[in-house]
Amino acid sequence: MTVLWRLLTSLKTCAWASLAFALAGAAGSVIMGRYPEIFSDMDAQVFAGWLADKGLGAPGPALWLYGLLLATGLLVVNAACCTAERLVQILRGKTSLRRLLPHVMHVAFVGVVLSHLVSGVWGDRVPGVAVPEGSFARVGATGLVLRLDRLDVAMAPEGYPKDFAAAVTLFRDMAPVARGVVRANAPLFHDGYGVYLKNFGPTPWGAPYAVFDANRDPGAGWILVFAALFTAANALYLLPARRSDA
Amino acid sequence: MHGAHVVLFWLSLFAYGAEAGLQLGGIAPRSPFRSALFAGLLLHALFLGVRWALSGHAPMAGLFESLTVFSFFTALSAFLVCRDPGALPAWKPLSVLVLLPQAGAALVDKRLTPLYPALDTPWFATHVGLSFLGYGLFAAGLALAWVVMRGGDESAYRAAARAALYGFSAFSAGMVCGGIWAYYAWGSYWIWTPKEIWSVLLWVYFAALTHLKFIPPGTGWPGWTRNLEMGATAAGYFVMLTTFLGVSLLLRSSHSF
Repeated sequence: MTVLWRLLTSLKTCAWASLAFALAGAAGSVIMGRYPEIFSDMDAQVFAGWLADKGLGAPGPALWLYGLLLATGLLVVNAACCTAERLVQILRGKTSLRRLLPHVMHVAFVGVVLSHLVSGVWGDRVPGVAVPEGSFARVGATGLVLRLDRLDVAMAPEGYPKDFAAAVTLFRDMAPVARGVVRANAPLFHDGYGVYLKNFGPTPWGAPYAVFDANRDPGAGWILVFAALFTAANALYLLPARRSDA
Repeated sequence: MHGAHVVLFWLSLFAYGAEAGLQLGGIAPRSPFRSALFAGLLLHALFLGVRWALSGHAPMAGLFESLTVFSFFTALSAFLVCRDPGALPAWKPLSVLVLLPQAGAALVDKRLTPLYPALDTPWFATHVGLSFLGYGLFAAGLALAWVVMRGGDESAYRAAARAALYGFSAFSAGMVCGGIWAYYAWGSYWIWTPKEIWSVLLWVYFAALTHLKFIPPGTGWPGWTRNLEMGATAAGYFVMLTTFLGVSLLLRSSHSF
Protein backbone atom coordinates (compact mmCIF):
# COMPACT_ATOMS: atom_id res chain seq x y z
CA MET A 1 0.00 0.00 0.00
CA THR A 2 2.84 2.35 0.92
CA VAL A 3 4.56 1.53 -2.36
CA LEU A 4 1.39 2.31 -4.33
CA TRP A 5 0.90 5.60 -2.46
CA ARG A 6 4.52 6.54 -3.07
CA LEU A 7 4.04 5.75 -6.76
CA LEU A 8 0.87 7.83 -7.01
CA THR A 9 2.38 10.85 -5.25
CA SER A 10 5.73 10.64 -7.03
CA LEU A 11 7.04 13.43 -9.24
CA LYS A 12 8.57 10.75 -11.43
CA THR A 13 5.06 9.39 -12.06
CA CYS A 14 4.10 12.91 -13.18
CA ALA A 15 7.09 13.03 -15.54
CA TRP A 16 6.47 9.59 -17.08
CA ALA A 17 2.70 10.10 -17.38
CA SER A 18 3.35 13.43 -19.12
CA LEU A 19 5.74 11.73 -21.52
CA ALA A 20 3.12 9.05 -22.22
CA PHE A 21 0.53 11.80 -22.79
CA ALA A 22 2.86 13.56 -25.22
CA LEU A 23 3.62 10.40 -27.19
CA ALA A 24 -0.05 9.37 -27.36
CA GLY A 25 -1.12 12.88 -28.40
CA ALA A 26 1.59 13.14 -31.07
CA ALA A 27 0.60 9.77 -32.51
CA GLY A 28 -3.08 10.71 -32.39
CA SER A 29 -2.57 13.97 -34.27
CA VAL A 30 -1.23 11.95 -37.22
CA ILE A 31 -3.60 8.97 -36.95
CA MET A 32 -6.69 11.23 -36.89
CA GLY A 33 -5.92 12.37 -40.43
CA ARG A 34 -5.35 8.81 -41.62
CA TYR A 35 -8.76 7.58 -40.44
CA PRO A 36 -11.23 10.40 -41.21
CA GLU A 37 -14.10 7.88 -41.28
CA ILE A 38 -13.52 7.31 -37.55
CA PHE A 39 -12.31 10.65 -36.22
CA SER A 40 -13.74 13.40 -38.46
CA ASP A 41 -17.08 13.58 -36.61
CA MET A 42 -15.67 13.53 -33.07
CA ASP A 43 -17.13 16.99 -32.43
CA ALA A 44 -20.52 16.23 -33.97
CA GLN A 45 -21.58 14.50 -30.76
CA VAL A 46 -20.40 14.49 -27.16
CA PHE A 47 -17.27 12.50 -26.45
CA ALA A 48 -18.97 9.63 -24.58
CA GLY A 49 -21.41 9.17 -27.46
CA TRP A 50 -18.62 9.15 -30.04
CA LEU A 51 -16.57 6.72 -27.92
CA ALA A 52 -19.51 4.30 -27.68
CA ASP A 53 -20.35 4.67 -31.39
CA LYS A 54 -16.91 4.58 -32.98
CA GLY A 55 -14.05 4.78 -30.48
CA LEU A 56 -14.66 1.38 -28.90
CA GLY A 57 -15.41 -0.21 -32.25
CA ALA A 58 -11.99 0.66 -33.66
CA PRO A 59 -9.53 -0.34 -30.94
CA GLY A 60 -6.54 -0.24 -33.30
CA PRO A 61 -6.78 3.30 -34.68
CA ALA A 62 -8.13 4.57 -31.33
CA LEU A 63 -5.31 3.05 -29.28
CA TRP A 64 -3.63 6.46 -28.98
CA LEU A 65 -6.84 7.86 -27.50
CA TYR A 66 -7.01 5.15 -24.84
CA GLY A 67 -3.39 5.99 -24.01
CA LEU A 68 -4.24 9.68 -23.85
CA LEU A 69 -7.17 9.04 -21.50
CA LEU A 70 -5.08 6.71 -19.34
CA ALA A 71 -2.24 9.23 -19.08
CA THR A 72 -4.72 12.03 -18.28
CA GLY A 73 -6.30 9.87 -15.57
CA LEU A 74 -2.89 9.12 -14.10
CA LEU A 75 -1.93 12.83 -14.11
CA VAL A 76 -5.19 13.71 -12.34
CA VAL A 77 -4.69 11.00 -9.68
CA ASN A 78 -1.05 12.05 -9.30
CA ALA A 79 -1.95 15.73 -8.79
CA ALA A 80 -4.80 14.86 -6.40
CA CYS A 81 -2.66 12.48 -4.32
CA CYS A 82 0.24 14.96 -4.20
CA THR A 83 -2.08 17.65 -2.83
CA ALA A 84 -3.86 15.22 -0.47
CA GLU A 85 -0.47 14.31 1.02
CA ARG A 86 0.13 17.98 1.82
CA LEU A 87 -3.43 18.52 3.01
CA VAL A 88 -2.62 17.98 6.69
CA GLN A 89 0.12 20.61 6.59
CA ILE A 90 -2.16 22.93 4.65
CA LEU A 91 -5.09 22.52 7.05
CA ARG A 92 -2.86 23.18 10.06
CA GLY A 93 -1.78 26.39 8.39
CA LYS A 94 1.86 25.35 8.63
CA THR A 95 2.68 26.34 5.13
CA SER A 96 3.34 29.59 3.35
CA LEU A 97 1.09 30.99 0.64
CA ARG A 98 3.77 30.34 -1.95
CA ARG A 99 3.92 26.63 -1.03
CA LEU A 100 0.14 26.46 -1.09
CA LEU A 101 -0.22 27.89 -4.60
CA PRO A 102 1.00 24.82 -6.56
CA HIS A 103 -1.66 22.80 -4.76
CA VAL A 104 -4.33 25.33 -5.69
CA MET A 105 -3.16 24.80 -9.28
CA HIS A 106 -3.39 21.02 -8.77
CA VAL A 107 -6.97 21.35 -7.52
CA ALA A 108 -7.82 23.62 -10.46
CA PHE A 109 -6.28 21.15 -12.93
CA VAL A 110 -8.25 18.26 -11.44
CA GLY A 111 -11.37 20.46 -11.50
CA VAL A 112 -10.93 21.31 -15.18
CA VAL A 113 -10.50 17.66 -16.18
CA LEU A 114 -13.50 16.49 -14.12
CA SER A 115 -15.67 19.32 -15.46
CA HIS A 116 -14.64 18.37 -18.99
CA LEU A 117 -15.65 14.80 -18.15
CA VAL A 118 -19.11 16.10 -17.12
CA SER A 119 -19.44 17.90 -20.49
CA GLY A 120 -18.16 14.85 -22.35
CA VAL A 121 -20.77 12.59 -20.76
CA TRP A 122 -23.81 14.78 -20.07
CA GLY A 123 -23.40 17.41 -22.78
CA ASP A 124 -25.27 17.52 -26.06
CA ARG A 125 -24.50 18.40 -29.68
CA VAL A 126 -27.12 19.28 -32.28
CA PRO A 127 -25.19 20.15 -35.44
CA GLY A 128 -26.55 21.46 -38.74
CA VAL A 129 -29.98 22.92 -37.96
CA ALA A 130 -30.74 24.46 -41.37
CA VAL A 131 -33.64 26.90 -41.61
CA PRO A 132 -34.74 29.35 -44.36
CA GLU A 133 -35.68 32.88 -43.34
CA GLY A 134 -39.19 32.96 -41.90
CA SER A 135 -39.30 29.19 -41.38
CA PHE A 136 -39.07 26.82 -38.41
CA ALA A 137 -36.76 23.88 -37.66
CA ARG A 138 -36.69 21.37 -34.84
CA VAL A 139 -33.50 21.61 -32.68
CA GLY A 140 -32.69 17.89 -32.45
CA ALA A 141 -34.36 16.16 -29.52
CA THR A 142 -34.18 19.17 -27.24
CA GLY A 143 -37.89 19.94 -27.58
CA LEU A 144 -36.98 23.37 -28.91
CA VAL A 145 -38.04 24.76 -32.27
CA LEU A 146 -36.02 27.54 -33.90
CA ARG A 147 -37.47 30.19 -36.18
CA LEU A 148 -35.14 32.32 -38.31
CA ASP A 149 -36.86 35.68 -38.19
CA ARG A 150 -34.30 37.57 -40.26
CA LEU A 151 -30.79 37.13 -41.65
CA ASP A 152 -28.60 40.16 -42.32
CA VAL A 153 -25.26 39.73 -44.08
CA ALA A 154 -22.92 42.62 -44.91
CA MET A 155 -20.35 41.68 -47.56
CA ALA A 156 -17.01 43.44 -48.02
CA PRO A 157 -16.06 44.55 -51.58
CA GLU A 158 -13.43 41.78 -51.53
CA GLY A 159 -16.21 39.20 -51.24
CA TYR A 160 -15.92 37.99 -47.67
CA PRO A 161 -18.68 38.47 -45.06
CA LYS A 162 -17.90 41.57 -42.99
CA ASP A 163 -20.74 41.02 -40.57
CA PHE A 164 -23.65 38.65 -40.25
CA ALA A 165 -26.52 38.49 -37.80
CA ALA A 166 -29.48 36.15 -37.48
CA ALA A 167 -32.53 37.22 -35.50
CA VAL A 168 -34.05 34.03 -34.10
CA THR A 169 -36.86 32.95 -31.80
CA LEU A 170 -36.86 29.71 -29.83
CA PHE A 171 -40.16 27.98 -29.10
CA ARG A 172 -41.11 25.23 -26.71
CA ASP A 173 -44.61 23.73 -26.89
CA MET A 174 -45.64 26.38 -29.41
CA ALA A 175 -44.76 29.22 -27.03
CA PRO A 176 -41.78 31.54 -27.60
CA VAL A 177 -39.21 31.07 -24.82
CA ALA A 178 -36.23 33.08 -26.06
CA ARG A 179 -35.53 35.65 -28.71
CA GLY A 180 -32.24 37.23 -29.76
CA VAL A 181 -29.67 37.98 -32.43
CA VAL A 182 -26.99 35.37 -33.12
CA ARG A 183 -23.76 36.63 -34.68
CA ALA A 184 -20.04 35.84 -34.63
CA ASN A 185 -18.79 35.52 -31.05
CA ALA A 186 -22.33 36.09 -29.76
CA PRO A 187 -24.47 32.94 -29.52
CA LEU A 188 -27.95 32.85 -28.01
CA PHE A 189 -28.11 30.93 -24.73
CA HIS A 190 -31.25 29.25 -23.47
CA ASP A 191 -31.85 26.40 -21.07
CA GLY A 192 -28.19 25.40 -21.05
CA TYR A 193 -27.94 25.35 -24.84
CA GLY A 194 -25.91 27.78 -26.90
CA VAL A 195 -27.23 28.45 -30.41
CA TYR A 196 -24.40 29.26 -32.86
CA LEU A 197 -24.61 30.56 -36.41
CA LYS A 198 -22.36 28.27 -38.47
CA ASN A 199 -23.24 28.95 -42.10
CA PHE A 200 -25.59 30.88 -44.35
CA GLY A 201 -26.44 31.45 -47.99
CA PRO A 202 -29.33 31.61 -50.46
CA THR A 203 -31.74 28.70 -50.98
CA PRO A 204 -32.31 27.51 -54.61
CA TRP A 205 -35.49 29.62 -54.65
CA GLY A 206 -33.59 32.72 -53.50
CA ALA A 207 -34.61 33.06 -49.86
CA PRO A 208 -31.73 33.33 -47.41
CA TYR A 209 -31.10 30.44 -45.05
CA ALA A 210 -28.86 29.90 -42.06
CA VAL A 211 -27.38 26.82 -40.42
CA PHE A 212 -27.10 26.64 -36.65
CA ASP A 213 -25.46 24.35 -34.11
CA ALA A 214 -26.97 23.96 -30.66
CA ASN A 215 -24.50 22.78 -28.02
CA ARG A 216 -24.79 22.10 -24.32
CA ASP A 217 -21.66 21.84 -22.16
CA PRO A 218 -22.76 21.48 -18.53
CA GLY A 219 -19.13 21.54 -17.35
CA ALA A 220 -18.19 24.75 -19.20
CA GLY A 221 -19.01 27.10 -16.33
CA TRP A 222 -16.97 25.05 -13.87
CA ILE A 223 -14.10 24.83 -16.33
CA LEU A 224 -14.07 28.62 -16.47
CA VAL A 225 -14.07 28.83 -12.65
CA PHE A 226 -11.22 26.32 -12.29
CA ALA A 227 -9.26 27.85 -15.19
CA ALA A 228 -9.56 31.29 -13.56
CA LEU A 229 -8.45 29.77 -10.24
CA PHE A 230 -5.44 28.18 -11.96
CA THR A 231 -4.50 31.42 -13.68
CA ALA A 232 -4.82 33.47 -10.49
CA ALA A 233 -2.71 31.01 -8.46
CA ASN A 234 -0.17 30.84 -11.28
CA ALA A 235 0.09 34.64 -11.44
CA LEU A 236 0.54 34.89 -7.66
CA TYR A 237 3.19 32.17 -7.81
CA LEU A 238 5.21 34.30 -10.22
CA LEU A 239 5.33 37.33 -7.93
CA PRO A 240 7.68 35.99 -5.23
CA ALA A 241 9.55 34.03 -7.91
CA ARG A 242 10.48 37.34 -9.49
CA ARG A 243 12.17 38.41 -6.24
CA SER A 244 13.89 35.19 -5.27
CA ASP A 245 14.05 32.04 -7.34
CA ALA A 246 11.99 30.42 -10.08
CA MET B 1 0.61 54.16 -45.55
CA HIS B 2 -0.52 50.58 -46.22
CA GLY B 3 2.72 49.74 -48.00
CA ALA B 4 4.92 52.19 -46.12
CA HIS B 5 4.45 50.52 -42.77
CA VAL B 6 6.24 47.44 -44.15
CA VAL B 7 9.43 49.57 -44.21
CA LEU B 8 9.40 49.31 -40.42
CA PHE B 9 9.30 45.55 -40.77
CA TRP B 10 12.37 45.58 -43.05
CA LEU B 11 14.23 47.92 -40.70
CA SER B 12 13.58 45.65 -37.74
CA LEU B 13 14.72 42.67 -39.81
CA PHE B 14 17.92 44.57 -40.63
CA ALA B 15 18.49 45.34 -36.93
CA TYR B 16 17.90 41.71 -35.94
CA GLY B 17 20.29 40.62 -38.68
CA ALA B 18 22.91 43.08 -37.40
CA GLU B 19 22.54 41.76 -33.85
CA ALA B 20 22.86 38.13 -34.98
CA GLY B 21 25.87 39.01 -37.15
CA LEU B 22 27.62 40.87 -34.35
CA GLN B 23 26.89 38.12 -31.82
CA LEU B 24 28.13 35.39 -34.14
CA GLY B 25 31.21 37.53 -34.81
CA GLY B 26 31.90 37.62 -31.08
CA ILE B 27 30.86 41.24 -30.54
CA ALA B 28 28.43 41.60 -27.66
CA PRO B 29 26.63 44.89 -26.85
CA ARG B 30 27.73 46.95 -23.84
CA SER B 31 24.29 46.62 -22.35
CA PRO B 32 21.01 45.06 -23.50
CA PHE B 33 19.50 48.50 -24.07
CA ARG B 34 22.41 49.61 -26.27
CA SER B 35 22.02 46.77 -28.72
CA ALA B 36 20.80 46.36 -32.27
CA LEU B 37 18.28 43.90 -30.83
CA PHE B 38 16.72 46.67 -28.72
CA ALA B 39 16.55 49.00 -31.72
CA GLY B 40 14.97 46.19 -33.72
CA LEU B 41 12.47 45.53 -30.97
CA LEU B 42 11.38 49.19 -30.90
CA LEU B 43 11.00 49.30 -34.69
CA HIS B 44 9.17 46.00 -34.60
CA ALA B 45 6.75 47.26 -31.91
CA LEU B 46 6.08 50.34 -34.01
CA PHE B 47 5.47 48.19 -37.10
CA LEU B 48 2.99 45.96 -35.24
CA GLY B 49 1.23 48.97 -33.72
CA VAL B 50 0.79 50.67 -37.10
CA ARG B 51 -0.36 47.42 -38.71
CA TRP B 52 -2.89 46.91 -35.88
CA ALA B 53 -4.27 50.40 -36.50
CA LEU B 54 -4.42 49.85 -40.28
CA SER B 55 -6.06 46.43 -40.23
CA GLY B 56 -8.38 47.08 -37.29
CA HIS B 57 -7.42 43.83 -35.55
CA ALA B 58 -4.43 42.45 -33.68
CA PRO B 59 -1.77 41.62 -36.30
CA MET B 60 -1.71 37.94 -35.43
CA ALA B 61 -3.68 36.31 -38.26
CA GLY B 62 -2.12 34.40 -41.14
CA LEU B 63 1.41 33.07 -41.63
CA PHE B 64 3.20 36.41 -42.11
CA GLU B 65 1.76 38.02 -38.97
CA SER B 66 2.21 34.84 -36.93
CA LEU B 67 5.89 34.60 -37.85
CA THR B 68 6.65 38.26 -37.23
CA VAL B 69 4.81 38.30 -33.89
CA PHE B 70 6.70 35.14 -32.89
CA SER B 71 9.94 36.94 -33.72
CA PHE B 72 8.82 40.00 -31.74
CA PHE B 73 8.06 38.03 -28.58
CA THR B 74 11.30 36.07 -28.92
CA ALA B 75 13.19 39.38 -29.01
CA LEU B 76 11.17 40.64 -26.05
CA SER B 77 12.04 37.52 -24.06
CA ALA B 78 15.73 38.54 -24.20
CA PHE B 79 14.81 41.57 -22.09
CA LEU B 80 12.46 39.66 -19.80
CA VAL B 81 14.70 36.76 -18.76
CA CYS B 82 18.21 37.23 -20.22
CA ARG B 83 19.38 40.48 -18.60
CA ASP B 84 21.54 39.01 -15.81
CA PRO B 85 25.27 39.02 -16.67
CA GLY B 86 25.33 35.22 -16.43
CA ALA B 87 22.44 34.97 -18.91
CA LEU B 88 23.88 37.38 -21.50
CA PRO B 89 25.75 34.62 -23.43
CA ALA B 90 22.28 33.34 -24.34
CA TRP B 91 21.88 36.40 -26.58
CA LYS B 92 24.07 34.72 -29.16
CA PRO B 93 21.74 31.79 -29.95
CA LEU B 94 18.69 33.89 -29.10
CA SER B 95 19.55 36.53 -31.70
CA VAL B 96 19.47 33.77 -34.33
CA LEU B 97 16.13 32.51 -32.98
CA VAL B 98 14.79 36.08 -33.31
CA LEU B 99 16.13 36.49 -36.83
CA LEU B 100 14.89 33.20 -38.31
CA PRO B 101 11.11 33.72 -38.02
CA GLN B 102 11.46 37.36 -39.07
CA ALA B 103 13.48 36.32 -42.12
CA GLY B 104 10.87 33.64 -42.81
CA ALA B 105 8.15 36.27 -42.60
CA ALA B 106 10.05 38.35 -45.15
CA LEU B 107 9.41 35.60 -47.71
CA VAL B 108 5.64 35.54 -47.14
CA ASP B 109 2.82 37.68 -48.56
CA LYS B 110 2.64 40.79 -46.35
CA ARG B 111 -0.71 42.20 -47.43
CA LEU B 112 -3.08 43.23 -44.68
CA THR B 113 -5.58 40.52 -43.81
CA PRO B 114 -9.27 41.51 -43.57
CA LEU B 115 -11.12 41.73 -40.29
CA TYR B 116 -13.13 38.51 -40.27
CA PRO B 117 -16.04 38.75 -37.82
CA ALA B 118 -14.74 35.91 -35.62
CA LEU B 119 -11.49 37.85 -35.06
CA ASP B 120 -13.39 40.89 -33.86
CA THR B 121 -13.10 40.11 -30.16
CA PRO B 122 -10.55 40.91 -27.44
CA TRP B 123 -10.23 37.15 -26.78
CA PHE B 124 -8.46 36.77 -30.15
CA ALA B 125 -5.67 39.21 -29.26
CA THR B 126 -5.29 37.90 -25.70
CA HIS B 127 -5.31 34.24 -26.76
CA VAL B 128 -2.79 34.63 -29.56
CA GLY B 129 -0.71 37.33 -27.83
CA LEU B 130 -0.25 35.35 -24.61
CA SER B 131 0.47 32.16 -26.58
CA PHE B 132 3.20 33.92 -28.56
CA LEU B 133 4.61 35.46 -25.39
CA GLY B 134 4.92 31.89 -24.13
CA TYR B 135 6.53 30.79 -27.41
CA GLY B 136 9.07 33.62 -27.15
CA LEU B 137 9.96 32.62 -23.61
CA PHE B 138 10.32 28.99 -24.68
CA ALA B 139 12.82 30.22 -27.29
CA ALA B 140 14.73 32.01 -24.54
CA GLY B 141 14.60 28.72 -22.61
CA LEU B 142 16.35 26.96 -25.51
CA ALA B 143 19.06 29.63 -25.69
CA LEU B 144 19.64 29.61 -21.92
CA ALA B 145 19.60 25.80 -21.69
CA TRP B 146 22.22 25.75 -24.46
CA VAL B 147 24.39 28.11 -22.36
CA VAL B 148 23.91 26.02 -19.19
CA MET B 149 24.77 22.76 -20.95
CA ARG B 150 27.97 24.38 -22.23
CA GLY B 151 29.10 25.24 -18.70
CA GLY B 152 26.95 28.28 -17.92
CA ASP B 153 26.70 29.47 -14.34
CA GLU B 154 23.93 29.32 -11.75
CA SER B 155 22.28 32.56 -12.92
CA ALA B 156 21.92 31.13 -16.45
CA TYR B 157 20.31 28.02 -14.97
CA ARG B 158 17.90 30.14 -12.92
CA ALA B 159 17.08 32.23 -15.97
CA ALA B 160 16.37 29.06 -17.98
CA ALA B 161 14.03 27.80 -15.26
CA ARG B 162 12.33 31.21 -15.17
CA ALA B 163 11.93 31.21 -18.95
CA ALA B 164 10.18 27.82 -18.80
CA LEU B 165 7.98 28.85 -15.86
CA TYR B 166 7.03 32.26 -17.28
CA GLY B 167 6.49 30.73 -20.71
CA PHE B 168 4.26 28.04 -19.26
CA SER B 169 2.30 30.66 -17.31
CA ALA B 170 1.74 32.89 -20.34
CA PHE B 171 0.80 29.91 -22.50
CA SER B 172 -1.64 28.65 -19.84
CA ALA B 173 -3.36 32.03 -19.67
CA GLY B 174 -3.45 32.08 -23.48
CA MET B 175 -5.16 28.69 -23.50
CA VAL B 176 -7.79 29.93 -21.05
CA CYS B 177 -8.50 32.94 -23.29
CA GLY B 178 -8.60 30.63 -26.33
CA GLY B 179 -11.10 28.37 -24.60
CA ILE B 180 -13.38 31.31 -23.80
CA TRP B 181 -13.10 32.62 -27.37
CA ALA B 182 -13.81 29.17 -28.83
CA TYR B 183 -16.83 28.74 -26.56
CA TYR B 184 -18.39 31.96 -27.85
CA ALA B 185 -17.20 31.78 -31.45
CA TRP B 186 -17.19 28.11 -32.45
CA GLY B 187 -19.61 26.47 -30.05
CA SER B 188 -17.25 24.64 -27.72
CA TYR B 189 -14.15 25.38 -25.66
CA TRP B 190 -12.59 22.20 -27.06
CA ILE B 191 -12.56 20.54 -30.47
CA TRP B 192 -10.65 17.44 -31.54
CA THR B 193 -8.09 18.77 -34.02
CA PRO B 194 -4.32 18.17 -34.23
CA LYS B 195 -3.74 21.82 -33.21
CA GLU B 196 -5.76 21.49 -30.00
CA ILE B 197 -4.13 18.16 -29.16
CA TRP B 198 -0.63 19.60 -29.66
CA SER B 199 -1.54 22.70 -27.61
CA VAL B 200 -2.51 20.54 -24.64
CA LEU B 201 0.53 18.36 -25.29
CA LEU B 202 2.74 21.46 -25.10
CA TRP B 203 1.01 22.56 -21.91
CA VAL B 204 1.46 19.14 -20.27
CA TYR B 205 5.10 19.03 -21.44
CA PHE B 206 6.00 22.33 -19.78
CA ALA B 207 3.84 21.57 -16.73
CA ALA B 208 5.93 18.43 -16.22
CA LEU B 209 9.13 20.36 -16.96
CA THR B 210 8.44 22.82 -14.13
CA HIS B 211 8.27 19.79 -11.80
CA LEU B 212 11.54 18.18 -12.95
CA LYS B 213 13.85 20.28 -10.79
CA PHE B 214 12.09 19.02 -7.65
CA ILE B 215 13.02 15.39 -8.40
CA PRO B 216 16.12 14.48 -6.36
CA PRO B 217 19.06 13.44 -8.55
CA GLY B 218 19.27 9.65 -8.82
CA THR B 219 21.80 7.17 -10.02
CA GLY B 220 19.48 5.11 -12.24
CA TRP B 221 18.35 6.04 -15.76
CA PRO B 222 17.57 8.82 -16.63
CA GLY B 223 19.32 10.20 -13.55
CA TRP B 224 17.03 13.26 -13.18
CA THR B 225 20.03 15.53 -13.45
CA ARG B 226 20.16 19.23 -14.18
CA ASN B 227 21.37 18.37 -17.67
CA LEU B 228 18.21 16.33 -18.23
CA GLU B 229 16.11 19.32 -17.13
CA MET B 230 18.03 21.65 -19.44
CA GLY B 231 17.85 19.15 -22.30
CA ALA B 232 14.09 18.98 -21.82
CA THR B 233 13.91 22.79 -21.70
CA ALA B 234 15.78 22.98 -25.01
CA ALA B 235 13.64 20.23 -26.56
CA GLY B 236 10.54 22.15 -25.44
CA TYR B 237 11.30 24.73 -28.11
CA PHE B 238 10.90 22.07 -30.80
CA VAL B 239 7.69 20.77 -29.24
CA MET B 240 6.45 24.39 -29.40
CA LEU B 241 7.65 24.74 -33.00
CA THR B 242 5.74 21.60 -33.98
CA THR B 243 2.62 22.96 -32.25
CA PHE B 244 2.95 26.36 -33.91
CA LEU B 245 4.23 25.59 -37.39
CA GLY B 246 4.42 21.83 -37.82
CA VAL B 247 0.75 21.13 -37.21
CA SER B 248 -0.36 24.00 -39.44
CA LEU B 249 1.97 23.10 -42.30
CA LEU B 250 2.09 19.31 -42.12
CA LEU B 251 -1.18 18.10 -40.63
CA ARG B 252 -4.78 18.80 -41.57
CA SER B 253 -6.32 20.96 -38.88
CA SER B 254 -9.24 23.35 -39.00
CA HIS B 255 -7.45 25.41 -36.35
CA SER B 256 -4.43 26.90 -38.10
CA PHE B 257 -2.02 29.68 -37.13
